[in-house]
Formats: sequence, C-alpha cells, structure tokens
Amino acid sequence: MPIDGTKIIHAVMEGSRIRDAKGIIPLFGVYLSIFFVPYYNRVSFEFEKKMGKDQDVEAASLLIEAAQECGYATFHGIQNSWEWQEIVEPMIEKREDQIFGFTAVALAFGWGDMEVRELVPNERLLIRVTDSYEAARYAEDHGPATSGKCYMLRGVTAAFMDLLYGGIYPEGLFTFSAEESCCRAKGDQCCEFLAQKR
Amino acid sequence: MQINWKNELNRKGRRVVLSNQPVAMHCHHYNINLQKTLEDTLGEEGVRLLYQAAEEASFDGFQTLFSQHKKLKTTESKLEFAADIYQNCGLGIIRFQETDSRGGQIISPAGHHVTGWLAKHGMRKTPGCHFSRGWIAGVLEVIYDHPPGYYSVKELACKMMRNETCVFQVTEKLKRKRKLKT
Ligand SMILES: [Zn+2]
Ligand SMILES: [Zn+2]
Repeated sequence: MPIDGTKIIHAVMEGSRIRDAKGIIPLFGVYLSIFFVPYYNRVSFEFEKKMGKDQDVEAASLLIEAAQECGYATFHGIQNSWEWQEIVEPMIEKREDQIFGFTAVALAFGWGDMEVRELVPNERLLIRVTDSYEAARYAEDHGPATSGKCYMLRGVTAAFMDLLYGGIYPEGLFTFSAEESCCRAKGDQCCEFLAQKR
Repeated sequence: MQINWKNELNRKGRRVVLSNQPVAMHCHHYNINLQKTLEDTLGEEGVRLLYQAAEEASFDGFQTLFSQHKKLKTTESKLEFAADIYQNCGLGIIRFQETDSRGGQIISPAGHHVTGWLAKHGMRKTPGCHFSRGWIAGVLEVIYDHPPGYYSVKELACKMMRNETCVFQVTEKLKRKRKLKT
C-alpha cells in the first residue's frame, strides 16, 4: 500500500491544534512549535553572514549538522510515537516505505514537498523539493547564491538514511551525509539533495 | 476575542499558513539545536541574533495579523490575542501583567524553549529564553505602535535556571540610555 500523505497531513493539522495546559504541543513524540518562516531564515543566513566569508563553509556545516541531528532525533521520536504506529505503520509494507512516511510528515510540517526521486537501499537517497522555504526568498533578500542554501532539508535528507541504515539508534547519526546539487537560491528550478554514505 | 484557530492555522497549497503567512512547524530538537549552535559559536553575538530574528519576525507577523483582525481595537484585546497566539503556536504561556507603552513586566510560567532546553541539556546557569524576549519585543512594538528595536527586553529569572517562572522586563531603549547619562 502506498503512503497516503493526506492522512498524515490531517493528523498533523489536527494534532497541532491540541496543546496542553502549558501551551506545549506534544505530537509524534516531540514538542512542536509553530512560527513564522522568516525567523528561521534570518537565524541561518545572518549566522552565516556573522561568521564571515572565510568561515562560511564552517557556518553551513554547523547548520547542516544541527539539522541532521535534529532530523535524526525527531524522526526517531516520530517512528516510535503512537501517532506513527496508528496512522503510518499500517501503510508501510517494506522498510523503504518509511522514507515516504517521513517526507509526508515534512510536508505536513510546512518544510516543503520532499519528493523521493531515487532510493537505493543503504546507498543513496535523492530528494527533490520545489518549494523549500529556505530557498524561496533567498535571492530576493541576499542576492543570488553561489551554493545551495537549504541547510535544514540537506541535514534532514541525510538523517532519513541514518535512521534507516545507520544501525541502532543513537549510533547511526552521521553515517550518511548529503549534498545539495541544485538549489532555487542559485537560480535552479528546484532543490535536490543527495544523501550517500560518508 | 476568541481565536478561530481552525481558520487561523491552515494549509495553502503545500504550505502551512497562519493567517496567510507561511509558518513552519519545528520541534524542540531543532529550535534548541539552533540556539545552542549560535550560542556556542558566536557567544553574545549569537544571542543577539536569536533575539533580533525573533523580534523582526514577530513584529512583521503581528503587524499582518492585527491588520487582518480589525475587531481588535483595545490594547487589552490585542495583548490577549497575542498571548493566545503564543499558546496556540505551542510556544507556551505568557502573561502580560503590567505593560504600557513604556514597557513593563511579563511572566511566563511555561514555554517550548524551556521544556526543550531542559529535556536536551538540563539546567542553565544563565537565562536562556532569547527567542521569547525577541517575540515579546516585536509584539509589543506593534501593539504600542513603535518601530522595531524600540524596546529592550531582559530576562530577570528563567525556568531554564530552575527559577519558578521566567520573568521578562521591558524598557524603552532610548529612555534607558538617557537615564544612564544623567
Ligand atoms: Zn535549496
Ligand atoms: Zn526563561
């Protein structure tokens, strides 16, 4: 059975409307927050700017690592949540189907339409995104980029592979790493992320 | 005014929107990772960046939100609305106790960043709600009709340090400078 993304979107939209008395949204095994997209872009791209030209690679890799670690912990929590067991697991036939469950959750979270273009088990994962929020306004705000700017999605793509093929949690983190070959911030049509073993 | 959250938080094509403005849902792992990365790498400058990014995004966001909710006319109703949005967005509980155009004091007995930080890293030695400070500055600047950057928000007590509640003090930046000079 293919993964029905609409069910997952529905669960996230409904779940994100339920908060406890402390104003915390516990969903899919994590605490969820909702905030305007420009915040995240400002944090990433101003951080990069403040680190300076000679440290921009270092800044990018810190942001990618932060996202990969987050993706790894978040989606591990998601995999083990009752929502996943109830809503997603019945749709999963083989291990690789989990990736489609993950991308459906990412879309539901407003991260972009992560489309799996290629998946070679334990080897490579190619994901295409046409509306990454990180790339959406980059050129407008900062001028055209010379390298990929979607650090969050890049880390998260690698995290998906870490979770599936990296071994027992939490040992599998950083087994894979991802590159962003095309990015809308550079003027490409879409963003593409390729995760491979390190 | 009661928020109709079902209308407020919605989907527009592939995006999640709050009153038509794109939002992202992120969990505590990501939010806290970002905070720690910036604090560890840039120190005070990183803290300032987190604060300003939250202030600007909250300022722009609430300006649009209030322009779409013209029924909110009084300061009280706007403050109440802002606190509801904070809670509905899973950011926590915020109480605007005594605020006016010159600032005031705000308490937060619970928060997303507090819960997230304590879960990931345990107790802090310094206040850590930089996001909330920025969020408060931005929203009050809209409500009291000041430009972004008008207020300075300090955190006097923080639950990340195991204080009972987070306490924020809002002052006018210009006034504070003038006071220091005299
Ligand atoms: Zn991109
Ligand atoms: Zn605090």
